[in-house]
Amino acid sequence: MAQTKHETITVDGRATRLLRGGKRGAPVVLFLHGGTPGVSPYCGGAHLWGAGLDLFAAEREVIALDLPGSGGTALSGVPTVDGMGRHLLAVLDSLGLARCHLVGQDLGAMVALWAALERPAALLSLSVVASRMAAPMGDSLDTLALRDPPPPLWSRASQQWAFEQLSYSHLHIDDALLDASVAASDGAPHRAAVTAMGEDRTRGFAASLARTKARLWEICRGDGLMVPTQLVWSSHDPATRAEEGYALFAAIALRQTAAQFHLVNRAGSFPFREQAHEFHQIVAAFQDGCVAEATRKAPA
Amino acid sequence: MSHDDTAAAARGAAAMPPARTIEVDGVATAYHDAGAGEPIVFIYGGNFGTPESASSAQVWNLNFVPLSRQFRVVAFDKLGQGYTGNPLRDEDYTMAAVVRHAAAFIAALKLPPVHLVGHSRGGFAAARVALDHPQLVRSLTIVNSGTLSPRVSTNEIVLTGPPHPPYTRESARWTYEGYCFNPRNVTDDWIEIVYDVLNQPKYRESVRKMVEEQAGARFFVPQLAKQKRETLQWMNEGRLQRPVQIIWGYNDRTASVEGAFDIFRMIGAHQRRTELHIFNQAGHFPYREHPERFNATLGRFVTLAQS
Repeated sequence: MAQTKHETITVDGRATRLLRGGKRGAPVVLFLHGGTPGVSPYCGGAHLWGAGLDLFAAEREVIALDLPGSGGTALSGVPTVDGMGRHLLAVLDSLGLARCHLVGQDLGAMVALWAALERPAALLSLSVVASRMAAPMGDSLDTLALRDPPPPLWSRASQQWAFEQLSYSHLHIDDALLDASVAASDGAPHRAAVTAMGEDRTRGFAASLARTKARLWEICRGDGLMVPTQLVWSSHDPATRAEEGYALFAAIALRQTAAQFHLVNRAGSFPFREQAHEFHQIVAAFQDGCVAEATRKAPA
Repeated sequence: MSHDDTAAAARGAAAMPPARTIEVDGVATAYHDAGAGEPIVFIYGGNFGTPESASSAQVWNLNFVPLSRQFRVVAFDKLGQGYTGNPLRDEDYTMAAVVRHAAAFIAALKLPPVHLVGHSRGGFAAARVALDHPQLVRSLTIVNSGTLSPRVSTNEIVLTGPPHPPYTRESARWTYEGYCFNPRNVTDDWIEIVYDVLNQPKYRESVRKMVEEQAGARFFVPQLAKQKRETLQWMNEGRLQRPVQIIWGYNDRTASVEGAFDIFRMIGAHQRRTELHIFNQAGHFPYREHPERFNATLGRFVTLAQS
């Protein structure tokens, strides 16, 4: 029985859809999904988190956002990391969330890091999950996993292929995932993202990514990322090797005491689907631990 | 960032309950036991016969009491260490005898299968108990164990020749500061416990056996080398058939973090439920340098493994 429901709110004049549920009044965990709108051969959205959200919802309030250009959240202009970051902060304000735990995968992790740079005091903790985009890229090889998607792009069969290519096992790819992904591909936000990314040839997006990462490295070397941060990578992720996540951990670990690196076994890009219980255990433990540590260190 | 993390945590954590004693294979064995629920058994590191420093069950004091609110927690003194008696025969100054004693202790408490947590040399002992007596073990947590790692341990480079006399607080402090990321995490209460253990007549006897009578060179070292070869081989064969998590301090100067990845891959090739956790700004004792996050990691793992 799913413990989360869809809500659509208006943020800065933009329709914004989110999945929300769990224990009201408990600490809030906000999830940011992966997939680059209009570019990735699967359609991202809050639906990617799947039934794993219910594990969090048993103890926390859970909010999973559709990023602009994905699912049911409208896009304005070209998708960029900064644009999505600003939208995220507007969502926090609109919901009256002074502080929350953030969990982001792939692009969602990049947006979460943008928020951690911009408004660190709003974050109790940050979990960066399987994100090639967030890891240092220096002279890495191209990723072959998503090289030749079968046409037509974003059809059910093509998206199924994309999920399989990114997974350790195909067994997590169920009708709920495919139905929601196909529905997302029919939505206005996705169609707008395809047009915007096509006209821009993703240049605006790539520039925003480069800007955010340059700032991230500067902060990691300087004063440090001011949010307790853990990296959760997978043993068999075709998109990003453990070594890449570990390099990101090493950068954050230069200054941030509460930095952790974790590997989930037998999972690909979606450890929260393939090993949902282990993923929940690792992320929830970090959140508990950070809160307990902060409580002890807080002046009486 | 606070530089007095564990000092503050120690103030916050209640003291461990007094030790009890149980006879295990003819050896009076000291242990602490508290709480109710799924049983967690801690096995600390080090071994008998080191005059600079000495482990005992109280090294877990920042973890034992907080976790006892949710679980049954047991921390015992290994054969020849802490307040447990020495090996009865010279040829039992070995890791094999330590492992036999640990397994016999767990069996003697008549606990349901336990969640074993082993640190350093205790990580090796815990893995070996899980291999030799899988019926006693429900899950395994390995913490900074150079002994279990296939990589080279560098303890001798970092810790040989303390600039202080043996059996002193100063030598113990120098040793643990070499192990830890932050020297301020080597607290006075920790050193007092070590000092008390070091200065028992029976502990000095174990040093005499290991050093003067060369039980270390004659028995301990060669036997461990053999048993380690066999243990790594067994792990590579997939004989470790329980959920395993590997927790490692990133800044350990004695047991490199690459070894944690090696152990993860060896076990994870066969065991789905294998996890790796690396803690920043932690040396050899992540459970003392970041107790809250360590306790949360252990507690959540045990809860999942029991279900």
